[in-house]
Amino acid sequence: MAVELSTGLIALASGLAIGASAIAAAWAEKEIGVAAVGAMAEKEELFGKGLILTVIPETIVIFGLVVAILILNLAKG
Amino acid sequence: MMLKPQQMSRVIITGPKNLQEQVVKELHSLKILHIADHSRNEMADIGTPLESADRLSQALVKIRSLMSALGIKKNGNGLEHRKGLPEIEMASRKLSEQLNTNLDESKKIDDKVSKLNAAAQELEILKSLNLPPEALDSYKSLASFTGYVRDKTSVESIRAELIRITDKFMLLSGDVSGKTFIGLFADEKEKHNALDILSKKGFSAFNFSNAQGMKGGAVANIQKTETEIKKLQKAKLDINEGVERLRETYKGFLLSADSYLEEQLEKAEAPLKFAATSSSFLIKGWIPENQLKASIDRLNMAARNKIYVHFEPAKKNDKVPVKLKNPKMVEPFEFFMGLYSMPSYRELDPTFFIFLSFPIFFGMMLGDVGYGVLSLMLFWAIKKKMPSAKSLLNVLMISSFISVLFGFFFGEFFGYEFMHPVISREHDMFSLMYLAIGFGIVHVNLGLIIGMVNEWKSHGMMHAVYAKLSWIILEIGVALLALPYLKIITLSPLIGAIFLGLSILMLLKGEGVKGVIELPSIFTNILSYARLMAIGLSSVILAVIINDSARDFFHEGGFLIIAGVLILIVGHGINIMLGLLGSFLHSLRLHYVEFFSKFFQGGAKRYQPFGLKE
Repeated sequence: MAVELSTGLIALASGLAIGASAIAAAWAEKEIGVAAVGAMAEKEELFGKGLILTVIPETIVIFGLVVAILILNLAKG
Repeated sequence: MMLKPQQMSRVIITGPKNLQEQVVKELHSLKILHIADHSRNEMADIGTPLESADRLSQALVKIRSLMSALGIKKNGNGLEHRKGLPEIEMASRKLSEQLNTNLDESKKIDDKVSKLNAAAQELEILKSLNLPPEALDSYKSLASFTGYVRDKTSVESIRAELIRITDKFMLLSGDVSGKTFIGLFADEKEKHNALDILSKKGFSAFNFSNAQGMKGGAVANIQKTETEIKKLQKAKLDINEGVERLRETYKGFLLSADSYLEEQLEKAEAPLKFAATSSSFLIKGWIPENQLKASIDRLNMAARNKIYVHFEPAKKNDKVPVKLKNPKMVEPFEFFMGLYSMPSYRELDPTFFIFLSFPIFFGMMLGDVGYGVLSLMLFWAIKKKMPSAKSLLNVLMISSFISVLFGFFFGEFFGYEFMHPVISREHDMFSLMYLAIGFGIVHVNLGLIIGMVNEWKSHGMMHAVYAKLSWIILEIGVALLALPYLKIITLSPLIGAIFLGLSILMLLKGEGVKGVIELPSIFTNILSYARLMAIGLSSVILAVIINDSARDFFHEGGFLIIAGVLILIVGHGINIMLGLLGSFLHSLRLHYVEFFSKFFQGGAKRYQPFGLKE
């Protein structure tokens, strides 16, 4: 099946949007996760707070997903 | 009203010191006063513990050490102890005597066994040399050497060199686990020369201190030590059984004594939190307003009206301990405030708002009839097993129920579209995204309105308008600019710009430069609610993939049907776990980060009345 070059580029762009933002989110979560585990070793009650803090950067990848969907929408229109 | 914490009254109790013990006892049984610690100043020192404190803490240390020696752990549901301190002291003394004899005995046996093991090793060496242990006794005219040399060839060269000095010697050699061992008996007069020869060949002496003095041959002695060791090991097993019996007999006593002593010690050490002079004491604290009168009456009765109790409502800058007050349905959600921070005494208690929005967000992300019903059953089962986590599990059960409702809204059953959905998560993600962001706009603005109420109460109306209403005007301004641009309405962009400029000026006045710098945050916050769609979307797509691959296996037929069933069970199991964790954390995060940042201050101490156990 033949796909137009522009369609392929759109798919690539949306893939990049989510991929790059996922790497960024993972990186940020790693830094926080390391600190959270360290704090938990000292004080176990911090588990709840650590868990919450660790998922905070997940917003980044959600923005990535939103942008990816918006780009895919270009393909329709 | 449920949006405000329990009203508290500041209470000061003073009295002569001889009544202190009665007052502490009464307070402990009332379980109503949150004691505010006194810190030492020029007016008054802190109090000294009651006389019994020393004895109580000694007994407690003893009980705790017995518990750790017997390997008993606290399990929370302590039994009621009905006897007093002397009985506990006596019983713990008796127990520790019994335990110590057992432990001493067991240590003695360990010593003996290790000695016998060493002797057995030495006997093995003697056996390889063909020497009886008696041969090691000291002689008048003979010098004896026993030990390792470098290798087998050294034995012969030692023999050759010895012959040159004397012919009165006997050299034995043997192989002990790969190393060469020798025994040399030589004329006492040639002792030094012999030692010289030996040390040239790398001789290292070995002492038979454990085997020395045994009668009979080496082999017979090895058997003897072995039977001895077996006997001792059996005796040790008996002792261990005895300790285990002690553990079973005294477990209940130790646990109940531990909780009893802890409680008594809490009472005895309470004066450390009081202010005291040489002949009087003063207790500062907080009592919920609705129980104030009754508790003061009981205190006066216990002290036969010889104490003075002063009370007044909380002043503006007082650090009042907070006790949340919510209807039974909302109460489980107070768990989230405990996890984050207690709201301060004068701001709105957001528990009710969490009750409204948390299950909706959770349900929208999980949003599947099958997953909802399954997790509802799961949490119900866990609640039966773990009553201690009741409040969290109640929250999760309410949330799971809302997930079922959203499941009907999305028409999903384990990812399969079983009915015509209002919005299909799988195919209509744009509608879902708009819905999610719509929830975001409502929730963030609700936060701003709560913030306005808080500011109004603490800093007056104008400050509330500048600091919080400005954000809402900002949103209106951006909307009025964006809608004409998207050709949804026709309006001069000037009007939007005026709103925008006005809001920025108000922000500058209300929150300073910091507020202006944070301008974009309100939009990232609102956009962050897109996760309500994103988490759900990933969950439903995973579910569809699981269903599709299982269907392929079912079409193949035969044994592959079993594989298909396995894929369904394992796949949906993992997806439910991921979905529950994600939905819970992200829903919570939307409250803590996006919602609370609009109004919440927190930082208050939780109300913990004296005498009440957690």
